[in-house]
Amino acid sequence: MEQVLTILIADDNPSDRILLKAILSQLGHKVIVAIDGQDAIDKFDPKAIQLVCLDIKMPLKNGWEAALEIQQIAGDLFVPIVFLSGVSDPIALSKCLRIGGIDFISKPYNPALITAKLNAIVKLLVMQKTLEEQRDAMSLYNEQLLHDQEVAKVVYENITHSNCLEDPALATIHYGTQTFNGDVILAAYKPNGGMHLLLGDFTGHGLSAAIGALPLADIFFDWTKKGFLMRQIIPEINARLKSILPANMFCSAVFIDVKVNNNSIEVWNGGLPDLLFFSGSSRQPIRFSSKNLPLGVLSPEAFECQIDPMTFVPGDRLMAFSDGVYEALDLSGEMFCHSVLNPLYQGEIEADRATDWLIEQLRNEGVLENPHDDISCLNIRLDTNIGIDSLERDAPKRHHETPANFSFEYVLYADSLRNTDPLPYVLQILTTVPGLSSFSSQIFMILSELYSNALEHGVLQLNSVKKSSSEGFSQYYAEREQRLSDLVEGYVKISVRVTSDNNQRVLVLYVEDSGSGFDYQKVNYDMSNAELLYNRGLALLDQLCSKLEFSKGGSAVTAHYHWQVGLIN
Amino acid sequence: MVESFFDKKSGCLTIQIEGRFDYSCHKMFKEAFINAVDVTSYDVDLSKVTYLDSSALGMLLLLRDYAGADKANIRLIHANGAVNDILKIANFHRLFVITE
Repeated sequence: MEQVLTILIADDNPSDRILLKAILSQLGHKVIVAIDGQDAIDKFDPKAIQLVCLDIKMPLKNGWEAALEIQQIAGDLFVPIVFLSGVSDPIALSKCLRIGGIDFISKPYNPALITAKLNAIVKLLVMQKTLEEQRDAMSLYNEQLLHDQEVAKVVYENITHSNCLEDPALATIHYGTQTFNGDVILAAYKPNGGMHLLLGDFTGHGLSAAIGALPLADIFFDWTKKGFLMRQIIPEINARLKSILPANMFCSAVFIDVKVNNNSIEVWNGGLPDLLFFSGSSRQPIRFSSKNLPLGVLSPEAFECQIDPMTFVPGDRLMAFSDGVYEALDLSGEMFCHSVLNPLYQGEIEADRATDWLIEQLRNEGVLENPHDDISCLNIRLDTNIGIDSLERDAPKRHHETPANFSFEYVLYADSLRNTDPLPYVLQILTTVPGLSSFSSQIFMILSELYSNALEHGVLQLNSVKKSSSEGFSQYYAEREQRLSDLVEGYVKISVRVTSDNNQRVLVLYVEDSGSGFDYQKVNYDMSNAELLYNRGLALLDQLCSKLEFSKGGSAVTAHYHWQVGLIN
Repeated sequence: MVESFFDKKSGCLTIQIEGRFDYSCHKMFKEAFINAVDVTSYDVDLSKVTYLDSSALGMLLLLRDYAGADKANIRLIHANGAVNDILKIANFHRLFVITE
C-alpha cells in the first residue's frame, strides 16, 4: 500500500521536529512543519493534509487545544491526529485518545516503530476514503432513483387514477409501504350505466409490483369504455399479464360489476380475502370467497371465470380488501383475520361505518405506522343510480355533421351466441356516425337491453319472474349459463339502419330472435315500481326511445332513436 | 431456512422451508431446484413454515414453471393452518397437489 501523505507536524523542540521530519520524508511523505499549537492550526488545510502529528506540550496552544480546533476545521473530513509525547503518564495519554487522537508516537523516536504505525494509518485512510466514495456514490444513486421514481409515479398515477374513485358511492383506503404501491383500485363507469371496479394486489411491493398495474389499468379502462363485459375483460387482463409478467409474478384481484338495470352485482374473486356483502336482510355479511386463481397465472386456454351474482337493494354495501388488511398483525402478533376482523365478519359493525372502523383498527394496532404490506380497502354503497348521472356528462354539445345513410344486419347463431358478445362491435360502427358518438351511452343501453331480452327470454326461454328473489336471481344466472352451453340452435338478428333527413337523424334498431315471443300487450312501462327486479329494462327503453314497437308475436322489436344536428345547447 | 434432499431411487427432490417463507428465501429456494439433476418429482415440505406471503406463492409458480408447467409433478406437503388458508385463497390446489 504505497501512498504519499501530506503530514503536518507540530513540535516546539527544533531537534525533535527535524528528526521526525527526516524520518517521514525518508518514507516518501511530504512534511509541513509548525513550531507551536497556534502555528499548526494556522497551517492546517483539511483538503491538503491527511495526517497531523502534535506534540503535547507546546507554547501558545498545547497539543490538546490544537487538536480540538483542527478537528473543528476538518468538519466532515476525517483527518487522523497522532500525539507525540515524551511523557508516559497514563492519564495524559488517555486524554489524548479521549479528545480524538488515534495513536501516540513516543519520544525518543524509533524509526522502525514510526514506519509500522504510519503503514497502519495509511491503511486506515485508504479504507476511510473508499467508504466515503461509496457513501457519496450511494447517496447520488439514491437521489437519482428517487427522482426517477417521482417521474414514474406521476405517469403511474395518471394511468391508474384516471377513474371515478371520487364517486360518492365509494370509500377507499390506500396505504403503500413504498413510493409505489403494489395494490391498485380502479373504478370506471360503464357506457350503459353502472360501474366496473377492480381491486388488485400484485406480488411483492414497490416499483416491481406497480409496473404490472399499467397494462392492467389500460385494459380495464379501455375495454370498459368500449362496452365490453366483465367476463370478457377478465380473461383479456389475465392473458396480457400472463404474457408479460415473469413466472413468479401475478395479481390477486377482485372484479366487481355493478349492474343498475337489474339491481345486481357480479363478483369475480381470484386470490383475495372474502368480499363482504352487507344487506338489510341478513345480520351477518354474505361472503364472496376466492374461487379463481389470481390473474396472470394460468394460460388463456386454461383460464376459467367463476363469477358470483347477487341482487341488491339501494343501501346495501359491498366491501373488499387486500392481503395487507387480512394478514396485518395486531399488537399481540395475531393476524387480523383471526382477531380484529371478527366483529366485522359477525355483523357487529354497521356497514356504513365499516371503512372508518377499519382505519381506526389499523391505527390502534400500529399497522399504519409500520405496514408490512400494501393496504387497500374498497367499500361500495350500492344504489340504482350509480353511473347513471355520468351518462348526462356525455350530453351533446355541438353538431355540424354530414348526413349518414347506411344499414347492416348482424345475425348470430348458436355458437356465436355462446362465444361472442356482438355489442361492442355494433357500437363501434354506430359511433363512427357523426354526432351519434355523443349519444353512445344511451344507444349502448338500448342495444344491450334489446339484445339481452332477445337472448335470455327469446332464445334461451328464461322466465324473468324468477329474478324476483335474490335466490332465484342466482338460479336464473346459473340456468342462463347452462342453457347457453347446451344451445344447439337459435339466432338473434340485429338490424341497424341510420337515415338522415335535413337536420333530422334517425337510428332504427331491429332485434329479432328465434324464440316464441311474449304477450307484449301486458308490459307495464311504469318505472315507479322500483322494487320490481325485472321488467325495468323495457320501461327504461320506452323512456329512451322515441318509439318502441313489437312484432312477430313479440319475438321482434323495433326501437326508433331520433336526434337533431346543427343544434347548439 | 431452505434445505433440500434428493432421493436418487425415487427421483424425488424434497425442499423444506423453515420459518417465514418470503422473499428472503428467494435465492436459496431457487438454488435448491436449479442445481438438482435427474429430478422427476418435487415435494415442497411446508410443515415448518410459519408464514407465507405472495412472493412465496410466486416462488412456487417459478418452480412449477421450471418443472414443466402443466406437466410438473409437484406436491406441497404438510400445509397446515394459516399456510393452507393462504394456498386456498389463491386457489393453488388447481395447480399443485396439496396435502395436510
